[in-house]
Amino acid sequence: MVARAPASERSPQQTDERLLVEAAQKDPARFAELYEIHFERVYAFIARRVGDRDAVEDLTSDVFHRALANLQRFEWRGVPFRAWLLRIAVNAILDRAKRQDREIAVADPPELSIQPGLQQVEDRARLFRLVNELPEDQQHVVVMRFAEQKSIREIARHLGRSEGAIKQLQFRGLENLRDRFEVKKIAKPRNIRSATASKKSGGKNG
Amino acid sequence: MVKRSRFDELDQAVSGILLHPDAPLPADARLAPLARIAAELTTLPRPDFRARLKSELQRGISMAPSSESMQREATEEETKPAVDPIPQGYHSVTPYIVAADADGLIEFLKNTFGAEEKFRAVGSAGGRHADLRIEDSALMVGGGGAGLAWKGAPIPNAFHIYVRDCDAVYQRALQQGATSIAAPVDQPYGERSASVKDAAGNHWYIATYKGPNYKWEGAPTIQPYMHPLRADPVIAFLKHAFRAQELGRHASPDGVVHHLMLKIGDSFLEMGEAHGPYQPMPAMYYLYVPDCDAVYRQALSAGATSLSEPADQPYGDRNAGVKDPFGNQWYIATHIKDVAPDKNQ
Repeated sequence: MVARAPASERSPQQTDERLLVEAAQKDPARFAELYEIHFERVYAFIARRVGDRDAVEDLTSDVFHRALANLQRFEWRGVPFRAWLLRIAVNAILDRAKRQDREIAVADPPELSIQPGLQQVEDRARLFRLVNELPEDQQHVVVMRFAEQKSIREIARHLGRSEGAIKQLQFRGLENLRDRFEVKKIAKPRNIRSATASKKSGGKNG
Repeated sequence: MVKRSRFDELDQAVSGILLHPDAPLPADARLAPLARIAAELTTLPRPDFRARLKSELQRGISMAPSSESMQREATEEETKPAVDPIPQGYHSVTPYIVAADADGLIEFLKNTFGAEEKFRAVGSAGGRHADLRIEDSALMVGGGGAGLAWKGAPIPNAFHIYVRDCDAVYQRALQQGATSIAAPVDQPYGERSASVKDAAGNHWYIATYKGPNYKWEGAPTIQPYMHPLRADPVIAFLKHAFRAQELGRHASPDGVVHHLMLKIGDSFLEMGEAHGPYQPMPAMYYLYVPDCDAVYRQALSAGATSLSEPADQPYGDRNAGVKDPFGNQWYIATHIKDVAPDKNQ
């Protein structure tokens, strides 16, 4: 359960978000702005709990459709809008598991609350957004390599460049992302290996 | 032995991460920070998924209730006009096709797409006027033909039409005299589609959505499809004149707009900048709005020229005509009273 903050403790971001949510409740066309803000967060949250990319896309789609359909029911009581979205995501993941009547690739049951791993989700969502800030050629290579899972050869053919040039762009893109990511990050990044081990053991830090 | 470059070394690490995301990361101090970033990126969302979901949501937004609309429903009962400004069976935008052989086109629409004829008459100018429905979408057809006095220029249009079986409808269109522009093919955006040109010059982009239904959730059966030389000036006009909303676009890095979705009132229009056989086709539209006079003035201020000033019509609409800077004709109408159909108006 996410703690509810009294009005006096609301951050400026929460105030802005509240105004935006209220605007979307009055005019659903404004929901597009909420989508732009929260897409990466919801996607990263689901991807951390569900392994299959098609399933992640189905569930992300489900979450935003449910959120749009139920937007009028959201009441601002100090709970951030993102927590409401992630609660919908948890329910969507559970519904899917029930429909399939078997264990889907959900990390493990203790993960099906919002809080565990939330910082990692936020970091990953921020990294996804940083990809859009890369120089165009690096961005193309990173998107094709990681989101579309293409080989270096396929990317080279698609972009009309040599394989060596693509590997160089991949290197520069990752280097750029690391620099931008680390600059904004306050805490030192955790070791991925230990995070994975923690996830597998049902740890709370994710 | 040839020393491998750091680009090759990193790529080898990336290939391993993509293949086994949970495998240990390389210990090499130079590569480890980049490999960590690569491991985080293994779930990077596909941009086309992000854009497609946004587009789907924007279609859904038009159906979502707003708190203001719910409040309005409660208070508007007393001030409600005698009739709905958009008559039953119509949406905001109805394409109006003008054909040299209007009756021939009506037969084509019936035999190819199962169009239902709602009304057919001879208008005051001596030409044909007919109202048709294809599932949830209305079409108006006018023009000349055997025994009709009307002589004028045809005004064809282009349409994206959803059907249950793209291949069968494509074959039927050819049997009904259409010529093929493109045979049925599976498209990367999740539709099977084909294109034909009918004898009156209209383009029909026949599509079956490869999903749970044969069309996207919320999609109308027919959407007019514009092919302007450049999309942005047309959109700017439509936004200013008719408060059109752009719902999403797919453009190449050099700025060419390949596909764009617009909404005017409750109606969707599509657009793709002219290329190959898809050249500008200035068309005619009948546009229902709550206040014909106000929208007429707004259209003129956006750069349209007047074809006719607002006037009450014997068929129960008040309407006015304008031509936009791109040659499209818009008949802006408000339904003001229900009138029994007269076959000679």
